[in-house]
Amino acid sequence: MRPPLLATRAISKSFGGLKAVDGVDLELAQGEILGVIGPNGAGKTTLFGLMAGSIPPTAGEVQMRGLRVSGRPAYQLVRAGVARTHQLVRPFPNLTVAENVTVGAIHGSRRATGAPRARALEVLEFVGLAGRASDLPDALTLAGRKRLELARALAIAPLVLMLDEVIAGVNPVEAMKLAALIRRIRDERGVSIILIEHVMPAVMSLSDRIAVLDHGKKIAEGTPAEVAANPLVIEAYLGKGHDGATA
Amino acid sequence: MTRIAPGPSPPRGAGPWRGPPSIVPISSALAFVIGVAALAALPLVTRITPYERNLCTLALLMVSGALAWNWMGGYLGQVSFGHAAMFGLGGFVAARLVMMEPPTPAPLAWLIGGLAAGVFSLGAHPMLRLRGPYFSIATIGVGEASRLFFTYWEEFTGGASGLSLPIDPGMKAQLYWWALGLAALVVVASFLIRRTTLGLQLLAIKADVDAAADVGVNATFCQDLVMVLSGTVVGVTGGLWASFFSFIDPQDMFGFDRSIGFVLMSVIGGVGTILGPVLGAVVFVLLRQFLLASYPQLYLGLYGILLILIILFEPLGLTGLGQRLARALRRHRRGATGVVAAP
Repeated sequence: MRPPLLATRAISKSFGGLKAVDGVDLELAQGEILGVIGPNGAGKTTLFGLMAGSIPPTAGEVQMRGLRVSGRPAYQLVRAGVARTHQLVRPFPNLTVAENVTVGAIHGSRRATGAPRARALEVLEFVGLAGRASDLPDALTLAGRKRLELARALAIAPLVLMLDEVIAGVNPVEAMKLAALIRRIRDERGVSIILIEHVMPAVMSLSDRIAVLDHGKKIAEGTPAEVAANPLVIEAYLGKGHDGATA
Repeated sequence: MTRIAPGPSPPRGAGPWRGPPSIVPISSALAFVIGVAALAALPLVTRITPYERNLCTLALLMVSGALAWNWMGGYLGQVSFGHAAMFGLGGFVAARLVMMEPPTPAPLAWLIGGLAAGVFSLGAHPMLRLRGPYFSIATIGVGEASRLFFTYWEEFTGGASGLSLPIDPGMKAQLYWWALGLAALVVVASFLIRRTTLGLQLLAIKADVDAAADVGVNATFCQDLVMVLSGTVVGVTGGLWASFFSFIDPQDMFGFDRSIGFVLMSVIGGVGTILGPVLGAVVFVLLRQFLLASYPQLYLGLYGILLILIILFEPLGLTGLGQRLARALRRHRRGATGVVAAP
């Protein structure tokens, strides 16, 4: 059997005495959308940082196609094909929208073809920002900046795209559009996606599979329907003895 | 490296920026070629005095130094207060090579001096993880440490009494063209760095080093590369400087004043631009010459006041002032035609 595209093996991260992520095993298959949910402070963003190489793990490792990639600097993971976006959008404010995306297109993964500039424009077209190419990021709305963040990550031509709360914080109409865009990224560009999201309807409808974190541990994993019915998950979100848990 | 179309940072508050054409505009390239040709012909066709010619040589040398400093301070956003270390090292290595028996040809000596300075600047590699004021403070330390180290290394630098190079009156006149050639080369290099993918990566690192890494930019490599390029050019400048004055001493070559000078030139002209450091260097050299002659006690104080005014009112220096004037002029003209057109 082919090893999974991206996987964590008993990965842990401690900050002092606090175990932010505690022995998590996670696998992402080719072409899959995997949702990661959990209450605030469950360790979702830390797990992302570990998988993207921006935080070194305390124990365990991250594998890509069965090969260990943790411990390498973030830019090398990007070139291997793992791209990420941040919870708080971080465009380069001194560069135009097109330039922002071009920076991502300069190196790109092995899948990347064509000149950076042309690739950047193609990606801008894809996310619907082509008309804003020469604006500064400040001129975009929050939803626009989220699209920019997506475009910059897509310019890498990644195998895996890790999305940290891309949908959160925008209005419902924009949220639907962003969800549709994420599905198109998988369907049309063949990118496998891991997403952290607080907007439950979006995660439930987008994800093929969902992993639930609580206090740094993975407490459940399965299809959206399975996870929603799991008593452990309901307990983590709503607390023990809540009417909803026994109903 | 692939050519792309970034262009200079847009002026703040100027609304959506439509971007420049993808290559250097023909008019700018033409202006540059004509400017260099005119400067090259200047001592031949006009009767400038040796004093004026020497002043021009100094200004041209400082243009190269300021532009090279700007690659780090402007593009990368790492403000160095220690560039005198590379300037001094380049100068002394070149001087020693010229003083050897048989003497090394001056251009070769300058080049080797520059390369030595470039390698020396790699010593700052561990400091590159520092950003902003922390980096700047560290460069002050390195600059001052270099000054003391080379002042005490008498076998190499001659200590406090410095080094006297063989005097060659022909060379002093020739240096005008050497300095011009170097400055022209550095202007072209500034354009190349700015308008290729390297420049884009530097600006990305300047904005957010972590976000740059998240899109595959190897920040360590880019920063090292720029530091070596910048150090090499400043080192070559130091070599030409040594040949020009025929006497150098470490207190001056490695002095803190000199490091501050590189910062001031770029700030006066406009950090991060190409025209800025060029203008800044010319203004700096002329002002310094004038002030040193008339008010030797005042000149550093006046620089201080100038610096405060620029940072308070026009952070992009002379370049920003020019842009502001151009905008005002355009608005004025549009306003005038608007009145005429109104029925």
